Amino acid sequence: MAAIASTNPSQLLPLELVDKCIGSRIHIVMKNDKEIVGTLLGFDDFLFLCVSEITPEGRRITKLDQILLNGNNITMLIPGGEGPEV
Amino acid sequence: ATLPDILYRPVIYCIIQNLDFQDKEKKKKESIFDLSTYIDKHIRVKFQGGREASGVLKGFDPLLNLVLDGTIEYMRDPDDQYKLTEDTRQLGLVVCRGTSVVLICPQDGMEAIPNPFIQQQDG
Repeated sequence: MAAIASTNPSQLLPLELVDKCIGSRIHIVMKNDKEIVGTLLGFDDFLFLCVSEITPEGRRITKLDQILLNGNNITMLIPGGEGPEV
Repeated sequence: ATLPDILYRPVIYCIIQNLDFQDKEKKKKESIFDLSTYIDKHIRVKFQGGREASGVLKGFDPLLNLVLDGTIEYMRDPDDQYKLTEDTRQLGLVVCRGTSVVLICPQDGMEAIPNPFIQQQDG
């Protein structure tokens, strides 16, 4: 995978961008209507760690301490995001 | 089954397995679609779950994870369907997970046409 990724040295690799975001706020959008806002602690090829959770559907905010988020349902990751109209 | 058959069978299985292994070695991660032609271009991306987004492609990897800049997200509601102006959000710099990407196409070069599948009732 690493051998083919170097197609163009001036492009931005997605996992590089996520790596830069470690330690700062991130906003994660899932396939369904759930979104998660928090501080990214780390990731691997499949999973993430975050801090707090927001569900915009009923504007239900569930504050969690640390979670291990499964990457299966993640659609988008937005570094430095604040979530939907918090 | 005669005695030679029983002896030959395991050998044949071994040969087949070895051939499979060689095929897997040769079959590396070849992409059938070169996204480097879309770098710095405006593209539209559709996801599993009905979300759509568009933005400028800044980077990608063989797993189809994307980096989009200036991203606009469109949400699909029951009455939304093709009305993409409803519920759009500016997201800025975004990483799109390749496992949930279902479609990538250029933002330009598309136009809505009248439905070609409507049957005429004149008979």
